[in-house]
Amino acid sequence: MEFGTIEREIYVAASPEIVFEVVSSPDHLKQWWPDDARYEATPGSSGEIVFGDCDAGGAVVPFTVVDARPPRTFSFRWTHPADKVAAKGNSLLVTFDLSPSGDGTLLKMTETGFREMGWEVAVLEQQYQEHVTGWDFFLPRLLPYVATLQVRP
Amino acid sequence: MSAAVTEKVDDDLWSAIGDPTRRRMLDLLLIDGGGTATSLGQQLPVTRQAVAKHLGVLDRAGLVRAMPTGREKRYLVDEAQLARAVAQLSSVGSAWDARLQRIKRIAEAIQRTQQDNND
Repeated sequence: MEFGTIEREIYVAASPEIVFEVVSSPDHLKQWWPDDARYEATPGSSGEIVFGDCDAGGAVVPFTVVDARPPRTFSFRWTHPADKVAAKGNSLLVTFDLSPSGDGTLLKMTETGFREMGWEVAVLEQQYQEHVTGWDFFLPRLLPYVATLQVRP
Repeated sequence: MSAAVTEKVDDDLWSAIGDPTRRRMLDLLLIDGGGTATSLGQQLPVTRQAVAKHLGVLDRAGLVRAMPTGREKRYLVDEAQLARAVAQLSSVGSAWDARLQRIKRIAEAIQRTQQDNND
């Protein structure tokens, strides 16, 4: 086990184009992670993701898109100081690699930067891990939304 | 312990375990049930002095404890502290497990919706 890097792989029974949209677009991101997301899904775009309610102890975390090559790769840096450009050593780098597999997609995720940034940021990650209680909360929000969804060809 | 002190301890713990040589040393200490700078140096491609330095880092992070026996200090792994370090990282991993499950469900729901529309 490499301490300082997290690697995961999951098979998704959906096309790479759909999976790419889900991992990259701000509207989708907030369905599976933060409560709000503001950025453009293009390389170099800087924005922020929001956990909880800003007026009630929530947190706004910088988010910068590093690479976006549909439908194969999407990567971003987060947790860098708001007044600094995201770079190695001041942020966590999350990379999604997608490859076609049968009728679906093999989705590989890596998150690196814990070692360079020291421990506090892993504590930060831990604090953000479960802002939603689970799928029972999620599904009612998702279904009306899927019906209106357009995936870019 | 104040929050600042706790943070410093966690930072030391993280740096200590982040180094591959030190992780190998922890492995050897666990396998052998302890060891000295000399015994570890014989099993690793680094000098005894480097081993002693790494042991110092592990000691400060609370990951090993030194027992003064004979001419040379003998080191044992503090398994409670090691378990704590591993648990902290694996909680970040399980957060990603949950996120990826949600990504999977969302993408598969979209796929099904599109197929239904095409039928």
